[in-house]
Amino acid sequence: MISSIVFINHKGEILIYRVYKDDITRSETTQFCAKIVATKENKECPIINIDGTSFIHITIKDIVVLATTKVNVNVAMTLQFLYQLVKVCRAYFGGEFDENCIKKHFVLIYEILDEVMDYGVPQIADADLLKKYIQEGGLKPELMNDVEKLKQLTSQATGATSWRPPNLVYRKNEVYLDVIESVNVLMSVKGTILKADVAGSIQVKCLLSGMPECKFGMNDKLLMQREPRKPGQTTTDKGITIDDLKFHQCVKLPKFDKERAITFIPPDGQFELMTYRITENINLPFKIMPVYNELGKNKLEIRVKIKSIFEKNLFATNLAIKIPVPKNTANVTTNSAIGKAKHEPDQQGVIWRIKKYPGDFEALLRCEIDLGQTTNQQPWIKPPISMEFQVPMFTASGLRVRFLRIYEKAGYKPTKWIRYITKAGEYLHRL
Amino acid sequence: MAYFGNNPQRGELQELYADLNDLNFEKKKEAVKKVIAYMTVGKDVSDLFQSVIKCLEFNDIEMKKLIYLYIVNYSRQKPDDAIMVIQNFRKDVRKSENPLVRALAIRTFGCLRVPKLNEYLIEPLKDCIQDDDPYVRKTAVLCVPKVYEVSPEICPALLELLQKLLEKESNALVLANLIQSMREIEVVSGKQLINLNQKIIQKLLLAVDECIEWGQIFILDYLATYNPQDSKQAEIIIERTLPRLSHINPTVTFCAVKVILKYLDFLDNGELVKNLCKKVAPSLISLLSWNQPEVQYTILRNISLILQKFPILFENDVKVFFCSINEPYYIKYEKLDIMVRICDSKNFGQVLNELLIYLNEADPHFVRKTIKSIGKIAITYDKALDKAVSILVELAKNIQQPTEPVQELLIQMQLIYKKNKQMYKHDESLKIIYSIVDYANEPESKSACAWILGEFGEFIPKSVEKMKEYVDNFQMEDRLVQLQLLTSAVQLYLKYPSQCATLIQQLITSAKDSFNPDVRDRTYIYWRLLSTDPEVVKNLVCFNSGTFSNFSKDLRLWETQDLVVALENMGSISNLFHKLPHQLYKNIKIKINNQQNVKIYKGEEKPDTQAQDQQDENNQNNKKELQQQSQQQQLQDVDLLNFDEPSNNNNNNNNNNNNNNNNNNNNNNNNNNNKTDLFELI
Repeated sequence: MISSIVFINHKGEILIYRVYKDDITRSETTQFCAKIVATKENKECPIINIDGTSFIHITIKDIVVLATTKVNVNVAMTLQFLYQLVKVCRAYFGGEFDENCIKKHFVLIYEILDEVMDYGVPQIADADLLKKYIQEGGLKPELMNDVEKLKQLTSQATGATSWRPPNLVYRKNEVYLDVIESVNVLMSVKGTILKADVAGSIQVKCLLSGMPECKFGMNDKLLMQREPRKPGQTTTDKGITIDDLKFHQCVKLPKFDKERAITFIPPDGQFELMTYRITENINLPFKIMPVYNELGKNKLEIRVKIKSIFEKNLFATNLAIKIPVPKNTANVTTNSAIGKAKHEPDQQGVIWRIKKYPGDFEALLRCEIDLGQTTNQQPWIKPPISMEFQVPMFTASGLRVRFLRIYEKAGYKPTKWIRYITKAGEYLHRL
Repeated sequence: MAYFGNNPQRGELQELYADLNDLNFEKKKEAVKKVIAYMTVGKDVSDLFQSVIKCLEFNDIEMKKLIYLYIVNYSRQKPDDAIMVIQNFRKDVRKSENPLVRALAIRTFGCLRVPKLNEYLIEPLKDCIQDDDPYVRKTAVLCVPKVYEVSPEICPALLELLQKLLEKESNALVLANLIQSMREIEVVSGKQLINLNQKIIQKLLLAVDECIEWGQIFILDYLATYNPQDSKQAEIIIERTLPRLSHINPTVTFCAVKVILKYLDFLDNGELVKNLCKKVAPSLISLLSWNQPEVQYTILRNISLILQKFPILFENDVKVFFCSINEPYYIKYEKLDIMVRICDSKNFGQVLNELLIYLNEADPHFVRKTIKSIGKIAITYDKALDKAVSILVELAKNIQQPTEPVQELLIQMQLIYKKNKQMYKHDESLKIIYSIVDYANEPESKSACAWILGEFGEFIPKSVEKMKEYVDNFQMEDRLVQLQLLTSAVQLYLKYPSQCATLIQQLITSAKDSFNPDVRDRTYIYWRLLSTDPEVVKNLVCFNSGTFSNFSKDLRLWETQDLVVALENMGSISNLFHKLPHQLYKNIKIKINNQQNVKIYKGEEKPDTQAQDQQDENNQNNKKELQQQSQQQQLQDVDLLNFDEPSNNNNNNNNNNNNNNNNNNNNNNNNNNNKTDLFELI
């Protein structure tokens, strides 16, 4: 399997070096550091073979996290493991992951590395679980001597619900649900949709006592077709078509496969219950209508009209529309009824920012662009207009949470909160 | 930060030595940390071995871990000192109540890798494999391959124990590690250890539901290598694997896809196969847009395989391979490659329209690759030819600088002309392309220009003047260009004998003394032929009748008979490099595919692909020929006196083949023009 795990800084210096199998020498790794990391040559590609050794790596800011191997491993798993490793480190370092904190906590990192991988085979790598028995500065002696507690710990770690410790108690039982969607869209020059999809995620913050069994329901078309109609009920809501769903490990997948029911025993605290992808019947919250005119040799005019297509009582916030301008732009005069528009040379564009934008509303921005002299004869290649926004209480896919039922033997009634938000992913309109 | 100092000087080592032997516990601990820090930066601190292991007597788990790390690192250098630690390990394994300590000890013990110490390990390891605590068991199980690698002779008892454990173990995590560990030993020993029976399969399938993500991957990976006995069994395994398609870990999903696809071959029920394909496709598409680019890349690298065996999966989904603006280039390149492969008579318009947009990108390499892709599509799919050519010609109209994409444009146009000579003779495109030949500045693109000049001399204004320009600079050109110039000039001479007489004289004079034997030889051949019988030369250098009809339509990476083995290894390093495991790793045995016919899963019948299938055998033969040719070429590389130009270049291949044929013709004095010319499209 994996021969070693190495953390390398951007200069190609080794920060952490842990060998799991001795079929690799340190000089092979330094060769990789010198050749690839330090020179940045070819570094982009996540897997590189040098003389029979494969170097599989990811780059997190300035840090290269590397796994080496000499056998035919599963690459996707290795990469996933590296990502998980970084996630674990972040969980220990309060979200940070940089050279300083790696150096500061190197003892802890070695302990983690010892635990998450054995003989190059990935092992338990769940941060919450690891925190139970690996702590900075060593475990408390009380725990080390309490055999009962230790047994409980190892049986949780190796058990079927390793993500949830037993015997949790909350005075107030609460669940928070966040449905977060990002819309990706690519529109052609003429405004036809070339590509559109919604990447959604449901985040849960769970403060519940005991071992609650949860059942979660959405307006999933396939599920709703299965349900028997209640007499007298006439719903127009037929549900939405979900292309694909991916669940947190706590969700009972066989049950979903058979009945399309989402049931789970949640981990404690915050987690991502599921992600989903939708490509049908997407409600795009904004329409962009650009007009581009060349007024003579040194003058351009770009007019951008945006229209919000959601209910009047909703608001979009933090809009930023980036209108690209040529490199040799000398001066831009803008004119719009709402928001502020400004030429930002480092972004090579005019950024039009609007704090709050009502539903079913149109706004227009006019930019007059003066061009400076240029020696470059190449015609300007126009990148697309891009847009950022957030629309609370709106889902582009039309997804709605229908219920979240919680069963626990104590029989408490938890408070449930839910929020929806739609964000722009890659929201592009070609110019 | 203080830990990451400079080299440990002599004095510093002594200081550490003093601290390690200090009575103060805190001081000792700090010293141990420093030792580990030195070890990390690659400094040799093995001299402190004795002092470090003395610190083990303290019952502090953090320090214990550090010391164990140290011991693992240096035990092979100091085997005699390492023996002293054995007692410590044995005590920990046997006496400690704490399962974490027991596991830690056995884990480290296994990593010592000193053959003579291993015999002390056997008994404690046996105990641990049978420990009550699953955490200890899962660690102990992984310890066996460690020992096996160093001293296999003492392991038979351990292996038996593992096999027994496989029968009775109920903890999912232990089971997953057990499978992984037995597989590792199987690889090292080459013997089969795991005897799958119905009961164990059931158990593994159950474990998949319960175990951590990595464990699920081990088990699914293992199941993918198994051949089910009958359709029923395949169906059961698929049914139990299906839920994994919704797992959040993309590798679990991908492994599940692998298992399902592999087992499809064993199903009798055609309807079920269709339904399964419908279920697999959306999961796979989600993986393609996964938010970790590295993972996305590994999936993309496996798509060519899936496309070849399961074209049905991406039937209407060429859009998922469109590039987004902010993707890293290594992903964009893969996507381009796939778009060419997935292109067919129905969607070529969509693909070409998308490629057209990419021509506007800033990165010249990417634009170049896009042009190459358009060229490939034009050559491979006759229906797409007109549209592709019009895109390229349109691009040529706006060119004002000798950029990198221009070079590729010229190369691709040459290939297109080569294939469709009759069609483009009088075409407007020729003039436009000819207008940019001055921007050629790479050997390949220059040679493409020379080829165009020779081939279409009569349709190009002032072709002789242009050729004169080339000939004047002949000495400065790359060998590749020189060779092409020789052929092209002779072609032109045959078209305009009077105008080119001096030109060809000049060329022969400057080329006959070339230091390059290939150039020299070719010069002499043409020279002799021209002076004896110009008609023969005409037959050799001017092919006017459909000579290039035999363009290979094959864009497939894999040999059909290799598909099954490749599928089993989907996601592994070898597949990422588009190779079979034994081609990349010498110690892996060649796995022979027993299935006679490899099933290809198609949707509706497509005329194009059908034709391709019929050509199957042909192409395979052709491929072999090509391989032989390239082998020959390598030989020629050594033998510089040989007639042919050695080259790894595809284009060259053509020239090369021409010449090969020329040569043969010459020898046989056979006027048969119908030669096979192949393009390998990479």
